[in-house]
Amino acid sequence: MSRKPYQRELPKTTWFLRHARYKKYMLHEISAFAVAVYLLILIIGLFRLGQGEEAWAGWLSFVTSPFGLILHLIIFGLSLVHTTAWFKAVPQAMRVQRGEQFVPGPTIVGAHYVVWAAVSVFVLILAGVA
Amino acid sequence: MARSHKAPFWFLFAAGGTVVAFVLPVMVLVTGIAPTLGLFEGAMSFDAMSAFVGNWLVKIVLFGIITLALWHAAHRLRVVAHDFGIRADAPVAGTVYGLAALGTLLTAIALLGV
Amino acid sequence: MSERTIELEVLRYRPEQDSEPWFQTYKVSCPEEWVVLDALNYVKDELDRTLSYRWSCHMFVCGSCGMVIDGEPKLACKAFLRDYGNRIRIEPLANFPIERDLVIVMDDFMEKLESVKPYLIPKEEKSIDQGEYLQTPAQLKAYKQYSMCINCMLCYSACPQYGLAPEFIGPAALALAHRYNMDSRDVGRKAREDTVASHEGIWECSFVGACSEVCPKSVDPAGAIQQVKLTSAIDYFTSWLPGGGSR
Repeated sequence: MSRKPYQRELPKTTWFLRHARYKKYMLHEISAFAVAVYLLILIIGLFRLGQGEEAWAGWLSFVTSPFGLILHLIIFGLSLVHTTAWFKAVPQAMRVQRGEQFVPGPTIVGAHYVVWAAVSVFVLILAGVA
Repeated sequence: MARSHKAPFWFLFAAGGTVVAFVLPVMVLVTGIAPTLGLFEGAMSFDAMSAFVGNWLVKIVLFGIITLALWHAAHRLRVVAHDFGIRADAPVAGTVYGLAALGTLLTAIALLGV
Repeated sequence: MSERTIELEVLRYRPEQDSEPWFQTYKVSCPEEWVVLDALNYVKDELDRTLSYRWSCHMFVCGSCGMVIDGEPKLACKAFLRDYGNRIRIEPLANFPIERDLVIVMDDFMEKLESVKPYLIPKEEKSIDQGEYLQTPAQLKAYKQYSMCINCMLCYSACPQYGLAPEFIGPAALALAHRYNMDSRDVGRKAREDTVASHEGIWECSFVGACSEVCPKSVDPAGAIQQVKLTSAIDYFTSWLPGGGSR
């Protein structure tokens, strides 16, 4: 009996539209664009800071422009997508075994959120005090 | 089968991803959103910022955060290209890692200039 | 015992007649406690004996009846009708060639499974007289989760990277390599590493995580692969040090 297997191809550019979990994954991946854009703005800001008060004021006026604000709000949203997705994945990538038991995933994730909160508060205090 | 050389880049991606997860949201809040809202005006003033970034410890920490985040984003963008059906991995990898290397250099120059 | 009429839209492909797959609808009156496999068996026994699909144990142990049910890779024996509407779409596993109807060609998976040396490689072979390779409960626990795989291939069906790059060794095989690497009685990690840490191995994975979400045995292949990435990355660095692993 002759065989004739049929190969169904995955659409190379639109595959992720097929399932909610793939869309979620792509949203997380897209956060890399947000990180890249933010770093670009930040590095330019550091250059402007070195160039003097006027240059720095120019950079600040970009950040506070409507476009700058919208851009940063999008970046902020995607950075939260990254943080939550990253923490969620930690127990899978790093298991901690104590004797015959593993430290429960929610404990590991919870510890990350606690540290995240502490780091964030520390930076906010720095910004408020400095 | 040949061992892949993705390992060191993945390592930077993973380290950077962790750094990004912990510090990026609050950094975006302080440098990107707070100025418009008029929060932390003192902190974002030229004098305060110059003094802050002028501290060598701050320079080192900022350099670490920015470069790790750069290499994290670069590696993930390589994967994104693959996910969008761009199969030319070698030129994509060369481009994104090249930009990350350039960004690393520029970050160092910018920080030393403050 | 409540019954309800369910329309099963089943992807048919008969290589002798069909140039491409098409959907055939069967109307079946189903008791609510049935699983999708029961409905398919009813079709096969009473309505259309030409329908082909694989199954054996009917109790999520054999891993034969994997198929895509309403877009989700599932074991047909574990897909309860009470969780579905009145139309259920049934397709063969994605990312594999279709042999006939719901039967896929699994040769590629079998080759990949073999390529990771999924068996114990002990430091020294013992004869039966010399007794067992001993292991503590904690050492067993270290890999047990990854030993629960039943080779049902749902993870390959869910994995977009396998669909996009068919040379990818894929979730189940890599998780099984990790299962043996983590076994205290095994010293085969180096022997597996050339395959596992190749371009076709762990580095093709981008941690979509779909494999772990669809796994009927909670094996978590995605987690296993990330753990292997970390140890392989550490290997990569230490191999450059004096006395480091051979590359």
